[in-house]
Amino acid sequence: MTPKKAKSPKQVLIRFGDMRVGTDSNRSKRTPTVRKAKGAIEPADRFKAPAGRPRVETGGSAVADLGAPTAARPTLAVQAALDRIDLSVDLAPARGAPDHGGLVLDNPILVASGTFGYGVEYGEVVDVQRIGAICCKGTTLRPRAGNPPPRVTETPGGMLNAIGLQNPGVDAVIEKYGPIWQGWKVPVIVNVAGESIEDYVEVARRLDGVPGVAGIELNISCPNVGKGGLQFAIDRDAARAVTAAVRRATDLPLLVKLSPNVTDVRPIAKAIEEAGADAICAINTLSGLAVSADRTRAFLGNTYGGLSGPAIKPVALRIVYEVAQVVSIPIVAIGGVTNLDDVLDFLACGAVAVQVGTAIFADPELPVRLGDELRADCLRRGLDSYRSLIGTALPKRTGAPSAKGAEYRP
Amino acid sequence: MRLVAAELVESRQILPGQWLQSFHAPELASGSRAGQFVHVRTGDCSGLVLRRPFSINTADPGTGIVTLHFRTVGRGTEWMTRVREGERLDMLGPLGRPFEVDPRSRHLLLIAGGLGMAGVRMLADEAIRDGRQVTILFGALSAAHVYPSNLLPDEVEYVVATDDGSLGHHGYVTELVQEYEAWADQAFACGPHPMLARLAALAVGRRDRLGVAKLGRKRGAGKADPLGSTTARRKSFLQVSMEQTMGCAVGACLGCTVIGVEGPLRVCREGPVFAAEEIAWPAL
Ligand SMILES: Cc1cc2nc3c(=O)[nH]c(=O)nc-3n(C[C@H](O)[C@H](O)[C@H](O)COP(=O)(O)O)c2cc1C
Ligand code: FES
Repeated sequence: MTPKKAKSPKQVLIRFGDMRVGTDSNRSKRTPTVRKAKGAIEPADRFKAPAGRPRVETGGSAVADLGAPTAARPTLAVQAALDRIDLSVDLAPARGAPDHGGLVLDNPILVASGTFGYGVEYGEVVDVQRIGAICCKGTTLRPRAGNPPPRVTETPGGMLNAIGLQNPGVDAVIEKYGPIWQGWKVPVIVNVAGESIEDYVEVARRLDGVPGVAGIELNISCPNVGKGGLQFAIDRDAARAVTAAVRRATDLPLLVKLSPNVTDVRPIAKAIEEAGADAICAINTLSGLAVSADRTRAFLGNTYGGLSGPAIKPVALRIVYEVAQVVSIPIVAIGGVTNLDDVLDFLACGAVAVQVGTAIFADPELPVRLGDELRADCLRRGLDSYRSLIGTALPKRTGAPSAKGAEYRP
Repeated sequence: MRLVAAELVESRQILPGQWLQSFHAPELASGSRAGQFVHVRTGDCSGLVLRRPFSINTADPGTGIVTLHFRTVGRGTEWMTRVREGERLDMLGPLGRPFEVDPRSRHLLLIAGGLGMAGVRMLADEAIRDGRQVTILFGALSAAHVYPSNLLPDEVEYVVATDDGSLGHHGYVTELVQEYEAWADQAFACGPHPMLARLAALAVGRRDRLGVAKLGRKRGAGKADPLGSTTARRKSFLQVSMEQTMGCAVGACLGCTVIGVEGPLRVCREGPVFAAEEIAWPAL
């Protein structure tokens, strides 16, 4: 597809120019540019029933029939065109020497840690091989029993969870799931948690070189025992220190997951980038609370819980938008993704990939379907890659972090 | 386990605020066992992000009909009462592990508190089909909340207790259990947590009261079946069906745990049915 005249997307191209999106053969091709020229994208398009976008049959009922296949089967020609669209992305371009490293995904739709177990639980209803990547449940050095029940509850447009990082410990995870993951085409990223830098480092060291482990996602929203229980994620220096320490311990692609429970996320993101992270994931859950039915106590066994789901999407968008303006490593967006428009919004704010979390509980097939829908959407827009959808909503200015628009904090 | 589009064929209120809905879902009707549950999606435009778990109340492979029995407790269940006949609900199931009946058990005691009837109801059908005798002990607040006997198989002996004495035994259903503990080979319960805890405490003392512990039959004396295994459950006198708020219902999120004697147990995966010995009951 020949990109139409591009007017001002330069800064987007510069920002992502050093990031390897797609295969090498693709790189040599002309980079599709963001089509911002007037009339290039018909604004009405997004709301029109798109011919190519798979839709769920509702069959006249109030309820979507989700037992239906994920898409009306495209014709052979359409399928061939769809197959040509490049959705691949490398989340660790800095690791990407030709023979090793890198974290190349087939498509930019991942499943979020804690919502998809170890990838095996949903196996009977989801074709896990078609997911971009799987982030497994938070893994710690030693086994953890987690928080007392109840651990989850629904809230308007979302849910609260306080699982408390229940997991069998890194050795058991490697032993039990490593061999399974090794046989999979889909990369598995191990989400790592700890209470001290030494914990994180040790877990990373044990994961290093394990077949079937494609990367590490640091969950730094954990209390830092050494720092009096303060979260790593809310302290720039602690975030920098833990990232740097893990970076030294492993060659695995290293993603670091930001917490939204901070005053300003940008210095933290910058510190994480400087410390050698390959990518940034944003966001983890927002701290929240629910009250028991008889109003005599907090509902959750842990008192506090993490808010997730559609309710947090605006917060996630804001953070991705801010972080995209201060770092140049890839950003993986997380928070309330339930449909293709959410994916496109996050891409527009500078994410190169998105994770689906809470929405899986209602709609286990969603991550796979979003990949298909993104592909169909690219075809409809006449793109041969989704790259040009990235960063289109960012302020058209490079250099110093924006001081405009991002500052609303009541 | 699979995603099934279940068509509502009948919906009626059988008790104040309690509904019985029948769905045409042949895959569920023929693939489910008593004690298992489905995770039902409740609309996607209303801000309800979680599915709702329901015990499979009955399942008839012949007609392909499964029924769910629930109380309207929130927006999800209220939404379900507004679904019209012919509309299809997205159900994930069957999920969880079923009740395990010892093949030698001839007399089954089912104990249900309130909505707990939905948890054990299907076991009555299965047991009668297999030629066993079934007694259901049922506890409710008052006569107005008593599960209609015409919805139970004729072969069942149905004994009712009400908290206010307006029907049957005046008091808790757990007070009826000792009368039946000698008769029963196995007991299966579903209901509020305190009721299950009380039953578990009663079950512990049962062998001593009946003197069976001293009969010297060392069943499995050498190698004990691992706690939670199907064989261990089959040998257990009391099995309970537990409830917990759920996220995924497939074992992925660890949101639905109850505390077991060996650590947290997922109600959706290791349960919802547990042998009473597996659970760390609160001290009574
Ligand atoms: C039940 C549950 C468990 C989670 N466990 C983890 C975890 O172990 N580690 C982690 O980094 N994030 C965890 N998260 C956060 C998610 O990965 C994700 O960041 C968050 O839910 C926001 O995305 P969503 O709105 O799409 O769910 C968990 C979320 C939920 C709902
Ligand atoms: S509900 Fe997710 S593990 Fe049981």
